[in-house]
Amino acid sequence: MIHRTVLEFSLLIGLVLATGCGASDADRSDATQTDDLDRTVRIERPVERVVSLAPNLTELAYAAGGGSKLVAVTTADDYPPAVDTLNRISALPVDFEAITAKNPDLVLATDQVNPPGDTKTFDSLDLPVYFFSFSSLSDVFEGIRTMGTLLGTEEVAADSARTLERQIASLRARTESIPPAERPRVLVLIGDETLYSFGQGSYIHTLVEVAGGRSITDSLDASAPTLSEEFVLTEKPDVIVGAWGADYDPKRLLELHPTWDVVPALQNDRVYSLPASLLLRPGPRLVEGARRLAKRLHPDRFRTLSADTSLASRSVPEAPSSIAERAPTP
Amino acid sequence: MKRPWTTGLGLIGVLACTVGVTVAFGSTAIEWGDVYRVLGHHLLGLGGSVNPVVDRIVWQLRLPRALLACLVGGGLSIIGVAMQTLVRNPLAEPYILGISSGASAGASFFYLGFLPPLISKTLSMPIAAFLGGLASIAIVYLVARDGPRVSVARLLLAGVAMSALMASLTSFVTFSSPEPDKLRAVLFWLLGSLSGTRWEQLPIPALATGLGLGTMVLLARPLDAMLMGEEPAQSLGMPVEALKRGLIVLAALVTGTLVAVSGAIGFVGLIVPHAVRLLVGVPHRRLVPLSFLAGAIFLCWADLAARTILPAQELPVGILTALCGVPFFLVLLRRRNYHFG
Repeated sequence: MIHRTVLEFSLLIGLVLATGCGASDADRSDATQTDDLDRTVRIERPVERVVSLAPNLTELAYAAGGGSKLVAVTTADDYPPAVDTLNRISALPVDFEAITAKNPDLVLATDQVNPPGDTKTFDSLDLPVYFFSFSSLSDVFEGIRTMGTLLGTEEVAADSARTLERQIASLRARTESIPPAERPRVLVLIGDETLYSFGQGSYIHTLVEVAGGRSITDSLDASAPTLSEEFVLTEKPDVIVGAWGADYDPKRLLELHPTWDVVPALQNDRVYSLPASLLLRPGPRLVEGARRLAKRLHPDRFRTLSADTSLASRSVPEAPSSIAERAPTP
Repeated sequence: MKRPWTTGLGLIGVLACTVGVTVAFGSTAIEWGDVYRVLGHHLLGLGGSVNPVVDRIVWQLRLPRALLACLVGGGLSIIGVAMQTLVRNPLAEPYILGISSGASAGASFFYLGFLPPLISKTLSMPIAAFLGGLASIAIVYLVARDGPRVSVARLLLAGVAMSALMASLTSFVTFSSPEPDKLRAVLFWLLGSLSGTRWEQLPIPALATGLGLGTMVLLARPLDAMLMGEEPAQSLGMPVEALKRGLIVLAALVTGTLVAVSGAIGFVGLIVPHAVRLLVGVPHRRLVPLSFLAGAIFLCWADLAARTILPAQELPVGILTALCGVPFFLVLLRRRNYHFG
């Protein structure tokens, strides 16, 4: 009996010395998770200090109710407003030194931003890093649940994910009845000068479909294609949606591509721009992106919901922004 | 004049101080005392416990990075010496002659999955880089050769052309890669960077650089003879052709290995040997080891600047060496009557 106590005590001391963090060692238990790169990640619980290496991961962590565990985010983070008080770390290239100095229990990364090769350096520093990979909308919702498991906020995360899924489902229910002939053919662009777009297997096509349109780039082989002007001329999109921010002047598109004066989207003034973070960031605010998209694609059907607030209060229990800033459950 | 021993000891002292200073700076502010407590703890077994966070930053991040900077800077400098002796012109340098971009092309072919991993992953990348560098320098040398002489104009032009060709090959594989996520990593690495260095990455470059340094020191006398011209060297009984081929392979080997780990860092091999010749003269038995030391010092400082010049942002160190190196190169190019010594 005494032996066991001594043994446990020395193990504990060893742990304290090895990790240099004496807090809450008593209820520490280790968990092994498999991340989206199929790596095995050993995480020491409880997870209290987390570094996020991509803005969408930060948003997912807040949505999962673990936002208060973040100790540092990237220099590109801008949402939710709570990140303004957090430390900033350069993510490209990763500032390993600043991350180590934060002594995190867990580092969140995504293969869309972080080179998977960085895992080796994290391993040699003995910092657990979990890689996310998002290709579909359901990956994003699943990502919230995973985030909840990692951060120990499973219930809040499950609630959040369910709410977002319900929001998408209710939007889909409203657009499902739209006959194919009335579904505009939509081109989603990332750049306005160089025509970066989304190809096969991207979540953006689901977003367009839920909003009541048809994405014309969903069968392109490359996952991040650069389109030609000719492609746009021959495909004749009814609507062009860009991730160029809310202040974008649609006339600029015709100045940059004068030959497009015959494209229906430009002829009928159906060029819209949304904030980039609502379209390009695989996170909880994609739902808001889908909603705004629906309003642009079908202004007549969504006229009753012209203001975002009325939409939020009517059809869904809460707006994503309030999810994002919700404090974790104790 | 030239006191090689004093200079050598001086440079060793400066190098030690340089490493000591560069590990004390970084994006995180750490007390000097804490930094040296960590070093003392690991190197001399002093003191009991050290702060584990400081330990990781200093011992796992900064020190391997500083040591890799020494290896890369020193290695590129001695290869600069080798190239300059090979073509008997102080303008030669692995980056300018296209070895670095050839090595980059080989390495990125492998990195992006266009070449199969031959042996193990850690060895395949340097081998691919070595073969790319070798192909590049062999073509440049064959084009520039004019009987027993090497035409300097042709050499530089061929180097520029091969660099452009190899860079296009690299861009081609990068753009056609099925994995767009790797693009950024490749870009950073093409510009040359020591970011994220780990201890495990050090042995292979150390081996290659050590081999290069050892060989060049042993060959000091034949190399001196080469500078006189090939015919006088031949008349002294030197196997000139074998020596030249050996130098080309050695240059590709060392440069390829270094590029595989740090990317193409240019102009170190141009600036450093030039400065060292001003200090100790032309003889290779002094020039080679001292160039190694001076190159190590130079790249350590360049890397420190790359890490700290912009707040919360790291620059590829290759940008800085090019910013220093290109004006230097142009000045050398302008000076017509440049010769060794």
